[in-house]
Amino acid sequence: MAIHDEDSNKLTIKLVYYGPAMSGKTTNIMRLHDLLNTDLKGEIMMMETTNDRTLFFDLLPLGFTTSSGLLVKFKVYTVPGQVVHDSTRKAVLSRADGVVFVADSQLSQSINNGQSFENLEANANRVGLDFDSLPLVIQYNKRDLTDIISETEVQQRWQQAPWPVTFSNAINGSGVVETLQALLSQVYNQLNTEFKFLDQHNLTQTEFINQLITGDISHQT
Amino acid sequence: MSIEQALSFDHEFTLQELLTGVNSSKLLQALLTNLDSPVRILDTHDKCLFDIELDQFEEKHPLKKTPLYGELEPIGYIEAYAPLPSLQSAAQLIQLILYSNSRYLMASDLHIKTQRDDYEELQRRNAALETSKVKYKKLAESLDLRVKQQVKVIETAQLKLYENEKLASIGRLAAGIAHEINNPIGFIRSNLTSTESYLNALTKLDAALKTGATNSYILKLWEEEELNYMLEDLEDILKESIDGIDRVAAIVKDLKSFSRVNDADEEDADINEIIRQTVHICAPQVQNKLEVILDLADIPLIFCHPAELGQVFLSLLLNAADAIAEKGKVKITTGINESNICIEMRDTGCGISESDLSHIFDPFFTTKDVGQGIGLGLTVCLNIIKAHKGSLNIISKLDKGTLVTICLPIQHKKY
Ligand SMILES: Nc1nc2c(ncn2[C@@H]2O[C@H](COP(=O)(O)OP(=O)(O)OP(=O)(O)O)[C@@H](O)[C@H]2O)c(=O)[nH]1
Ligand SMILES: Nc1ncnc2c1ncn2[C@@H]1O[C@H](COP(=O)(O)OP(=O)(O)OP(=O)(O)O)[C@@H](O)[C@H]1O
Ligand SMILES: [Mg+2]
Ligand SMILES: [Mg+2]
Repeated sequence: MAIHDEDSNKLTIKLVYYGPAMSGKTTNIMRLHDLLNTDLKGEIMMMETTNDRTLFFDLLPLGFTTSSGLLVKFKVYTVPGQVVHDSTRKAVLSRADGVVFVADSQLSQSINNGQSFENLEANANRVGLDFDSLPLVIQYNKRDLTDIISETEVQQRWQQAPWPVTFSNAINGSGVVETLQALLSQVYNQLNTEFKFLDQHNLTQTEFINQLITGDISHQT
Repeated sequence: MSIEQALSFDHEFTLQELLTGVNSSKLLQALLTNLDSPVRILDTHDKCLFDIELDQFEEKHPLKKTPLYGELEPIGYIEAYAPLPSLQSAAQLIQLILYSNSRYLMASDLHIKTQRDDYEELQRRNAALETSKVKYKKLAESLDLRVKQQVKVIETAQLKLYENEKLASIGRLAAGIAHEINNPIGFIRSNLTSTESYLNALTKLDAALKTGATNSYILKLWEEEELNYMLEDLEDILKESIDGIDRVAAIVKDLKSFSRVNDADEEDADINEIIRQTVHICAPQVQNKLEVILDLADIPLIFCHPAELGQVFLSLLLNAADAIAEKGKVKITTGINESNICIEMRDTGCGISESDLSHIFDPFFTTKDVGQGIGLGLTVCLNIIKAHKGSLNIISKLDKGTLVTICLPIQHKKY
């Protein structure tokens, strides 16, 4: 649930990268840090173990200010994928406004992907998120590797599902921004009703997305 | 801010929060030394959070104010009489402290939250376990009850079979006994028929005598009716009939002890006598293949249940007979050993295999064909002997034979 702090005219939106261990969640937000051109971009706060496994979470703060003066702040988190850290995953997922599910494309990982997705659904319910209306994107990462599930098969598998599916290589960054974009358009629609982006802040969906991704400020003053 | 938000690890930290735990006087002293000016740290509403003054202070520079950034946006200000670049580098330094403090706060809040969740989860599981424990306990209790009921049903059924078994071996005797009784009855009857015809002849003679017939006529009649032979025959007939009747009487006497199978009466009885009666009564049944040898010592009477012990010997004898295919021997020995009467019954039958030996006392264990045996014989025997505080042991060798040993304590009427 996004929080509007009227005192400082600030809206805080929480996005979470979820998925099985080692699927590339941390790498995704490292690429976002490199590739995004938004006004306000903080440092990534990483809480990891010595061998690069996320222990608590990673956090990338992003933001921009609308022409109306509203500070739209994004807190992009990754969860620890390792099965043992389930309580932490739950805490990080709580009050999320949108989720990217980062699946590992390798054939050997399909069971882990499935279990992690079930875990996402279960935890979403536990922390009181409405899974049916939660903005969600399915990202198949590590497309650069061999022995991976084919795009056709992925499409077939998710055919019935309402969520967009993207393909990425988080190492070189391809598909990473597109994934965020697919999430942002859903998040905008979801929050527009409550926070009146268009009516009160003159903020269209395209501007919402572009401001964060390219830093394009096409304020109509 | 709601309580839930306040508790969540990822809420927006205020400057005040991020400076808790920091030794502010040391920080301010360091800033003062560096900037050579009094320093004030303000929140976003320009409210002073910390400040430090100088006793003697000369304004060398105008008062300047620069923001302290949180993740993205200013969360407060630092104010001092110092050149802007110096003030900004002081702000950088403070931001480093804020950053590492926010990192620490988030990690520790998250840790506390997950610990609390884990604990609640544990408690929830514990409660669930408790409920299922109660459920299983109830289930176990009801199962226990049902098992007990079922056991009772089985026990009553077994008791019935057990009682039937007592009667069954006697049933097996019935055929032999019937034959044994029918035989004398048969010849006594045919003897009586012969006597009837002899009576006719006598009536004729009587008539002749009454009419004053001549001696020669009477002699002729005597010859005609073969009355000489009749006199001899009558003597035989009477002797044979009396023998027959004695035999029936003897059988009936032996049977009497078995007619009281279900009698609870106990009395001082002679084991040897019980054995003799039993052997006697089943003799017609087994005599064509069994040669029964009795070696009975002089033993005292014991207080016992004669009908039941008769039942035991009968059962054992029938087992021995069943174990013998063509012809064989059974030797029954009695004797005294310390304060016990010992009865041994040794047969030359087929014997019992080692694997069967451990089961022969089990109810319903039988190696016999359906209808031949139900496998309660030895169970009943053992129960009867135990009721007499005695022991019953069986040793056996395949193809050699079987030895049954019974020991009964010598006891007399207790009251
Ligand atoms: N080949 C290839 N490797 C990748 C890709 N994305 C991530 N990796 C590698 O996969 C490993 C794990 O990546 P991370 O981003 O740390 O994975 P994570 O999902 O954050 O893992 P946890 O924190 O343990 O849940 C690293 O060695 C990455 O370099 C990709 O698209 N292609
Ligand atoms: N004297 C014996 N010689 C060989 N086998 C014996 C002898 N006595 C008992 N057995 C074995 O032990 C089994 C059990 O004997 P038990 O008298 O209990 O039952 P049963 O004779 O089979 O049936 P029933 O209930 O009619 O007596 C027999 O089936 C037989 O295999
Ligand atoms: Mg990670
Ligand atoms: Mg028997």
